[in-house]
Amino acid sequence: MTRERCYPYATVLPVLVVVALFTVYPLLYSVHLSVHENVLTRPHDHDFVGLQNFREVVTGYYFWRSLWSTATFAVMAVAAVALYGLGTALLLNQALLGSALLNVVVLLPWAIPTVISGIIWRWIFDGDYGVLNGLLLVTGVVNRYVPWMSQTFTARLCMVVAHVWKQGPLAAVFLVAALQVIPPALYDAAHIDGAGRWKAFRFVTLPYLKPTLGLVLIYETIVAIATFDLVYVMTGGGPADATAIIGWYAYTEIFRFLNLGHGAALALILGVMLLGLVMVYLRAFRSEDAA
Amino acid sequence: MINRARACWRLGLPLALTLLLSGAPTPAPAQGGKVALNLVSWSYGVEIVRDNIAKFQQRYPGVTVNYSDFSWGTYHDAMVARFVGRTPTDVLYASDHWLQEWAAAGWIIPIDESFPQVRQYLAEYSPFVRDALTYKGRIYGTPYYADTFIFVYNADHLQRAGLTTPPSTLDELTRQAEMIKAKGIAEFPIVLGWGQQDPFSIESFTSLVFAQRNGSLFDKEFHPVFTSPGSAAEKVVTWAADALGGKKIMSPTSLQAANLDQIRALQSGAATFGIVPSYTLAVLNDPGQTQLAGKFKIALMPGETRATVGFIRFYAISAQVPRRGPDAMTAAWNFLDYFGGKVDGEYRITKRWSLDKGLGFAQTALFSDKEIRAAFGKWADVDMLQKQAQLARAKEGMTPYYGTWDVYSRAELHKAYLGQQKPADTLANMARKWEELKAKEK
Repeated sequence: MTRERCYPYATVLPVLVVVALFTVYPLLYSVHLSVHENVLTRPHDHDFVGLQNFREVVTGYYFWRSLWSTATFAVMAVAAVALYGLGTALLLNQALLGSALLNVVVLLPWAIPTVISGIIWRWIFDGDYGVLNGLLLVTGVVNRYVPWMSQTFTARLCMVVAHVWKQGPLAAVFLVAALQVIPPALYDAAHIDGAGRWKAFRFVTLPYLKPTLGLVLIYETIVAIATFDLVYVMTGGGPADATAIIGWYAYTEIFRFLNLGHGAALALILGVMLLGLVMVYLRAFRSEDAA
Repeated sequence: MINRARACWRLGLPLALTLLLSGAPTPAPAQGGKVALNLVSWSYGVEIVRDNIAKFQQRYPGVTVNYSDFSWGTYHDAMVARFVGRTPTDVLYASDHWLQEWAAAGWIIPIDESFPQVRQYLAEYSPFVRDALTYKGRIYGTPYYADTFIFVYNADHLQRAGLTTPPSTLDELTRQAEMIKAKGIAEFPIVLGWGQQDPFSIESFTSLVFAQRNGSLFDKEFHPVFTSPGSAAEKVVTWAADALGGKKIMSPTSLQAANLDQIRALQSGAATFGIVPSYTLAVLNDPGQTQLAGKFKIALMPGETRATVGFIRFYAISAQVPRRGPDAMTAAWNFLDYFGGKVDGEYRITKRWSLDKGLGFAQTALFSDKEIRAAFGKWADVDMLQKQAQLARAKEGMTPYYGTWDVYSRAELHKAYLGQQKPADTLANMARKWEELKAKEK
């Protein structure tokens, strides 16, 4: 009997061990790092410093600047991904010729690793030989090559475009799935009541999409705030730290400034921020549902 | 049910233990009594490296070399990850940028403690090489190559603009660039590799500083001297901001460019002037790569002193090797001596890099080597190269926190170039950061 009672625990133990090893242990280790001095060029100094690392990070030069860059990037990226995803989903939901092929084509960018897509977009936006400049020059939109990645605003915009290209398809897939379960009878009823296309979208499609849209917004906010690989490949945080978002800042603290204490503190702050944002989203959607 | 539970324990426990224990990396196993060395380099001339390894293994049959490489732009970070994660790494490429940082962290070891014979080579090196290889009085490696940052120009562009000599000061450079731009020869005649991601960018900037009157960044006590009004650094930053945003004679892509992007801009004829490591001139004048081959010339760095940065990339031994015992240490030294020292009385590998790729060297005597002069003469004025090398100085402020300051400074300099803040404010911020890092180090 005792052995039988142990059986369920035994079956979940391997999973628990894996989760503990790859989630709980790193988290606890990060907490440990964040409250100790851990500068790699001073390998023998590991004093307990309490919240000093957090204080130094928050009052340091980078934090507020990178937070602002992160907020700007996240707002632009999430809005653009949601709009792109919604537009694409509405298109894919139509019974068009070749829509099966279109489904695959639209999904392709999502299947490409972020690093590869970052490199592709870096080449496309290159100020000396980028294909975008070539196209704009040929069509007469610009009269000379534009250094997209060397100006602060356009560099941010380039990052958003690359991010949307990569993340948009996933949002589209979620939303297509949601669109396909809306009962057609509701549209018929709306049309009988005299609703046009916009009103049908506003009062039938959108309410049905709201839970999925909420999921997309939460997920994409997390992805946008935690973005690192695109910065790494496309801009290196430049020019003038314009694209140095908080994930990149954490990386820089650890791998360039060799300060593990600061890096861990920053990662924990980032984690708490994300958790807070998710809770705000959930509450907002729940209160709307209740209303 | 009981049998199933027992089976689960039998399977689950070893799986969990395996997962727990598999985290500890182990050095590559020695094969058949051989010592295995793990070599890590940045990706350059990989086929030559492999061939050199094969020759080394023939000479030392008791040693096998496992080789892996990472791109130059990400090399520092990749190595930090390897060191911290204790990924087996025995011999490696290192740079004078990172010597102090890596030595202070205990990731690389001084060579002369165990192998004092390395000192026999020092007398043959350029002074800047001796400085750049030394940390706290100890020698940390043998040279892979040593080079200088040089000023290059497209002679054809100058001729078309009616210019007979290259610029000798920053003011002249500005005037010539304006003339070239005005005649429609190049929209942005100056291109520099000042991308925030490129480790070369601080060396390129420092070269211009060294070339100016009183061109220094730090004194011998590591105090910043670049904040004083009218300093060489302020002159360079002010010039660059004006060239980029004011006169628009510097390509805006300079702020995203690495050395390779600079090469492309010059080879395509889009730009006239650049600052590059001297071996790059061999690439610029390679007929296989551009129709403009032969048009690119070297001139001394524009400024009153004409000085420049001399830098060293070297072979180092990781701190993992002593823990592996005396055989591994001897094998690592043999590797460093073979690759960066003399083989049968000559610097064979160093010379090969110079002949095949145009890489510079630490040993001043090689400037007299007939083969090297003939090979370099195909793409450069060798006397001018030598003259610039004689004016080269090691970077100043070489401390364990130089790397951190470098990364911070790249972004600060961008802000001044883009007109987001005054040059004096940028330099004040750089000095503040330096003092902050210095205070923490104490």
